[in-house]
Amino acid sequence: MGTRYLQLALLLATLVFTTQATAAEKYIVASDCTWPPFEILDDKKQPAGYAIDLIRAVAKAGGFEVENRNIAWDGIFGGVATGQYDIVASSTTITEERKKQFDFSDPYFEIVQAVILPAGKKISSLQDLKGKTVGGQIATTGIFVVREAKIDANIKEYDDVGLAIQDLIGGRIDAVVCDDPVAKYYANKKKDSMGKIHVALTTDTKEYFGFTVKKGRKDLLEKLNRGIKIVKENGTEAALRSKWMGD
Amino acid sequence: MSDNEEKQSAGNIVLVTEGGSIPNPHEFRLINAWSLSLTFAVLSLFGLCLFWPEPYLRILLYLPDGILVTFKITLLSICFAVPLGFLTGLGRISRNRFIKLVASTYVEIIRGIPLLVQLFYIYYALSRFVQVSGIASAVIAISVCYGAYMGEVFRAGIAAIPRGQTEASRSLGFTRFQTMFYVILPQAMRTILPPVGNECIAMLKDTALVSIMAVPDIMQRARSFVGTTYLYFETYTVIALVYLIITLLLSKAVSIMEGRLNYYDKRAR
Repeated sequence: MGTRYLQLALLLATLVFTTQATAAEKYIVASDCTWPPFEILDDKKQPAGYAIDLIRAVAKAGGFEVENRNIAWDGIFGGVATGQYDIVASSTTITEERKKQFDFSDPYFEIVQAVILPAGKKISSLQDLKGKTVGGQIATTGIFVVREAKIDANIKEYDDVGLAIQDLIGGRIDAVVCDDPVAKYYANKKKDSMGKIHVALTTDTKEYFGFTVKKGRKDLLEKLNRGIKIVKENGTEAALRSKWMGD
Repeated sequence: MSDNEEKQSAGNIVLVTEGGSIPNPHEFRLINAWSLSLTFAVLSLFGLCLFWPEPYLRILLYLPDGILVTFKITLLSICFAVPLGFLTGLGRISRNRFIKLVASTYVEIIRGIPLLVQLFYIYYALSRFVQVSGIASAVIAISVCYGAYMGEVFRAGIAAIPRGQTEASRSLGFTRFQTMFYVILPQAMRTILPPVGNECIAMLKDTALVSIMAVPDIMQRARSFVGTTYLYFETYTVIALVYLIITLLLSKAVSIMEGRLNYYDKRAR
């Protein structure tokens, strides 16, 4: 009996040792898990969603390992700049302003901005939001789009988009602007907001998500881009898309 | 601090403030903690904006409307919190058991809940029943919270007046009401006002929490500026300095007020 345990222990020890020795490089991935269906927390409070699954698939294809962490959106770029984590996988649109400070992988997802209104309300263009109170998540491209449209709307920046949706349902604000898959999730899938709100308008300007890394991390970008290419070609990405955003 | 304590005991008054947080009003040396901090803060802010107007001046110019919102919330909250604290303090020492119980329960409940939770509760949780705007929620939550804290300050200040004062006043034929308002409170105010001022300064700092309700105060302005520029270090440096300068100026004002109130203590020495 005793020798059997010893053998088992020895086996485990060698296993751990060899896996560690051959372990691929591990990168820490930050996501703000308040952006369904891209990044959310599952029942066990672990990061889940399209982007989480995607970065895992990309890592597998690109030959590295990832560890996911839930990081508040507000400081998520600061952490990658100071090296607290290596990759931001948090539905970050590649913008010129952001490109000045960070490097981005190849685009992995295309979105437009969507305006959510209470059920029954309609608008025909962004200009119709003039004089209205428009909410969104702080420092997201949804807010930027409203700001840049210069439509004289009262912009309210919430810590996460769920709080903005709640205020929209409660009637304290007139509209919420966010990425269209997120808007559709709240309008069509999420139980407590479904039916009370609808996606009234989508913009024409397309935006592309990219994984964000610290400026100059060429090695990491190469691995990411190789992985993205593989998962797009072998159909993994399409499967994830229908898993998280299909009907 | 020890100097202060001595003085207070001379006037038969117990010190109820947390002490060092407001500058000693009888400190007349040119170099002291307060003047050093203020000089440091003003020079840093000025220097940064002068030598690196990009981005520091741009950040500073992004803030004024946020500063106004912060002041607005603070002033409104003070207007509600001080009377609420006064009533709570009186309630806590009331002879009426019911009033005493209500006041004490209020203090116990509010002191046990973090202000951030209270803000979320009033703005998001109660929105199912009543819709209150962001600034109104902020003022309500902060007033209710600080009302409880200030209640304790008022209670302690009143309790610190020796019993002999009440006895003397009552034997001179004053009613309980007259005793409280003509004899006890005027004396108690000297101990109460400085810590109340202190609470008001703490209140101003705590208004930074209201940015979670999408209220555009200084903190929210900073966060949305960071959100577009990603200049974390520069922005939060400016924000810290701006808050520091505001609170230093306010604490000096409280200190001057304390000095005036202690006028008679000084003469007695």
